[in-house]
Amino acid sequence: MPRPLGLTSLRILAAIRGGNAYGLDLVARTGLPSGTVYPTLARLKRSGLVLARWEDQRLAEREGRPRRRYYQLSAEGAEALSDGAARIAEAAAALGAATGGEAR
Amino acid sequence: MSPSPAPRWARLFLRILAPFVPGHRRAEWLEEWEGELDALADLRGEGRGEDYPGWVSFVAGALPHAVWTRTEEWSMDGVLQDLRYAVRMFRRAPGFTAVAALTLALGIGANASIFSLVNGLILRPPAGIRRPELLVQIARSYDQAPRWDNWSWPALKLIEREARTLSGVAGYQTQAFVLGRGADTEQVSGQLVSGAYFDVLGIRPFLGRLLQPSDDVTPGGHPVVVLSHGLWVRRFGGDPGIVGRTIPVGARPYEVVGVAPPEFTGPEAVGTPPAVWVPAMQSPGYRGELPFDQWGWSWINAVGRLRDGVSFEEARASMDVVTARLREAAPVNGDIRVLVAPGVGLDPQGRAQAGRISLLLVGIVGLVLLLTCTNVANLFLARGAARTTEVGVRMAIGAGRSRVARQLVTESLVLALFATALAVPLVRAAGRFLPLIFPYTLSVSVGADGRVYLFLAAIGLAAGILFGVAPAWAATSSDLSDALREGRSGAGRVRTRLRDALVVTQLALSLGLVAAAALLGRSVVNARAAAPGFDPDGLVVAFIDLQPTGRYDPASGRNLFERVLARVATVPGVRNVTIASQAPIQGGHSRSTVQPADRPGDLAFEAENNVVGPRYFETLGIPLLQGRTLGGLEDEPERVVVINEALAQMFWPDLSPSGSGGRSAVGRRLAGDPGWRVVGVVGNVKMRSLRSEPMPGVYYPLSQAYSSRMVLHVRTDGSSSDMASRLRQAVAEVDPELPVANVVDLRQALATSMGETRTIGWLVATFALLALVLAAIGLYGLVAFGVSQRVRELGVRIALGARPESLVRMVLARGLILAGIGVVVGLGLSAALGRALEGLLFGIGAIDGLTLVGASVTLLATAVVAAWIPARRAARVDAAVSLRDE
Repeated sequence: MPRPLGLTSLRILAAIRGGNAYGLDLVARTGLPSGTVYPTLARLKRSGLVLARWEDQRLAEREGRPRRRYYQLSAEGAEALSDGAARIAEAAAALGAATGGEAR
Repeated sequence: MSPSPAPRWARLFLRILAPFVPGHRRAEWLEEWEGELDALADLRGEGRGEDYPGWVSFVAGALPHAVWTRTEEWSMDGVLQDLRYAVRMFRRAPGFTAVAALTLALGIGANASIFSLVNGLILRPPAGIRRPELLVQIARSYDQAPRWDNWSWPALKLIEREARTLSGVAGYQTQAFVLGRGADTEQVSGQLVSGAYFDVLGIRPFLGRLLQPSDDVTPGGHPVVVLSHGLWVRRFGGDPGIVGRTIPVGARPYEVVGVAPPEFTGPEAVGTPPAVWVPAMQSPGYRGELPFDQWGWSWINAVGRLRDGVSFEEARASMDVVTARLREAAPVNGDIRVLVAPGVGLDPQGRAQAGRISLLLVGIVGLVLLLTCTNVANLFLARGAARTTEVGVRMAIGAGRSRVARQLVTESLVLALFATALAVPLVRAAGRFLPLIFPYTLSVSVGADGRVYLFLAAIGLAAGILFGVAPAWAATSSDLSDALREGRSGAGRVRTRLRDALVVTQLALSLGLVAAAALLGRSVVNARAAAPGFDPDGLVVAFIDLQPTGRYDPASGRNLFERVLARVATVPGVRNVTIASQAPIQGGHSRSTVQPADRPGDLAFEAENNVVGPRYFETLGIPLLQGRTLGGLEDEPERVVVINEALAQMFWPDLSPSGSGGRSAVGRRLAGDPGWRVVGVVGNVKMRSLRSEPMPGVYYPLSQAYSSRMVLHVRTDGSSSDMASRLRQAVAEVDPELPVANVVDLRQALATSMGETRTIGWLVATFALLALVLAAIGLYGLVAFGVSQRVRELGVRIALGARPESLVRMVLARGLILAGIGVVVGLGLSAALGRALEGLLFGIGAIDGLTLVGASVTLLATAVVAAWIPARRAARVDAAVSLRDE
């Protein structure tokens, strides 16, 4: 397993979880700048955590616009997301203990 | 359905970025981003845009995305390794790197600076205006005589009513306003505006309110003024209680209703930015003589705003209707035509002129860039000689030629990147410095913005490629075994030829620039010596205007002028004083039609008119050619004038002083009731600028004609440095409420009228010197390198009995042959540059033999010195040492 995923990647994975998200959706849902979202998506795709799929050519043609590219989680992506979430929950708990239970 | 498609620039941005994405991913990348743009447009169309990012911040993300794809590609290709290697190379040679980067930064910076000027002046609309792309300028022209002219008030109102494609139309006229009283008096630039002005431009107040249509209904009924932010801070210390106070403007009190926002400096790019805005109907100058019902009195510029969804073309087409209405409305509009042009800032003529100057400057800095690139390429080549072995080894152990070349080009790109970063402060400084040397006052800022930085990056990249490719080619064209045998190689020959070519280029460029600088310099000198028709030395003019006081009629006005003249004559340092309605160089604004009485139907001409006081011609030093001047007219039984030679020539060619008749135009009459008798003919005076052709002109005596706007002409002995305040004080003693507007030294005004030539002359001269130094260094380096390569050969020659002088001659000859070729190429370049500069020259042709010879001699002399220093070394070669060296 490579380096553990960072917060940004996890936020994007979480936003994709719903399925059938395109880049603009993810920018809006995560509130991250587009300059962060797209390169991260490309990286996640390269490492196989995210799958990309083009929408149906005929649909786009009928509406006279370019195709859109949708992203969804791969099995590994879903696993990485739950791993990451667990890791963060763990860290939060540890932090909470250290700061006297504020972060319960 | 997408009601408002993505903006064109966003798509363009993607197209520009696309080539940066690796080829096999490009189509996919572009399609994804276009899909996203389309989706965003849809969402905004459905009114859900608020949850999503704006166009700019969203599309900006395409850049990191593209960069990411590219760096990923590179890390696989070893480009990152190249980059690391390049940085290491430069760190090992900090001196070389610094010189090369600084030289390059100069070239890149000069280009981006000039671009920032073009950007501020032409490309970027004036600041502070809401959606400036929807503004149009509206002008008046005629079928027979096309021009770009302003409007009368009734015409402005008609356009406002009839132009259905425009949501609003505003008028404005820039003029001088006098603020304050007594010692506190100050003249500022301001605008008379129609009530809709601020609405049409879309300006919001900084304090209080701005002007509105209701301020502009009753003439004189609503004296209000809006201050610029700059004036408010400077004159009123940024007092937040300014709104509601009254201040004197001209002779009347005006209520300050608001302060304009700091970024708004009016709709024009050139000229002193307005400090006050006054509703046209409340004009301090027009009391009693309102032009608001006169179709024939044109004085106001019109600007309109396109209605939503109306294209510029539609607006242009709709002007036919406005033209028809105007022609119906008044006979004076008989053959009028309404023109529109997009945008504000500069009118089409101004834009064309600014375009010409900019193009010249761009051409000059383009040469500078070429020069710095050749210089850096030369440095690289010289250094390449030292790296031949390294390159040879790398190729020997299996690096392909393209791989090595790529490494070298990467190095030059890294250097260019470094130089671009160094150029940034240069460009920022230029934003402050350029307006100071620019021959016109600029209202707009020419500071760097995103577009300038983009240009800077592009030109940096271009420079990197420009100077990087030649050395890379030279370095890799080596034969492997030759390279390892140290220097004497095919690569060496290619490199030497390339360096020759580069040095010749530098020499040619310097000759061109030196010749251009000489042409401009001689123009400035010629202009200084040129006869403007009067003696400008020590001549100071001061503008006074009785109208704003509203207290003078022609009789009391003449009386006042007499008292002012008497008082000013006693000011220390004043030798002589007179008064006239127009000042030389600064004038030529007033013309009226005159006809010769003996052939009235035949000839009529719009001559410049000037109402002059006693001793006018004597004070200004205008030569009297025939007859007498206008002195002692108290008992003159009829009305008399003095005309200038140009008018005499036009009306009575055989009687004029230069005619062959030997008789005189004196005694002839100008038509009119009862007409004017010509009593004298004087020399022509340049009223508008040095470059203008002499215009026919008529001088009317103040005792028989009148103007309420007059100009004091004071001949000083040049001893006083604060003549302006002495004159102001003297006038104030006669009438404390009579403001003296600006005071101008005509010697300086003459210099200013050559401002463009002077500015560009200085720039070119600076660059010419730079070019000469760089070319000399280049030639020196080349000859020195040649000597060091030939030490063994020189040693053999000496051993065989060659005399040292003959060796010096041999080495020198090579340098001079290059210089000769440089001169030949440079002469061609000089001719082209001279042609391009033609409009700026004065009293000298674009191709001037003396200038070309002088420049060539300068260049050859420089070349001889640059080549002679290393050539001397050839004579000192010690045969024994050089032969032992092997």
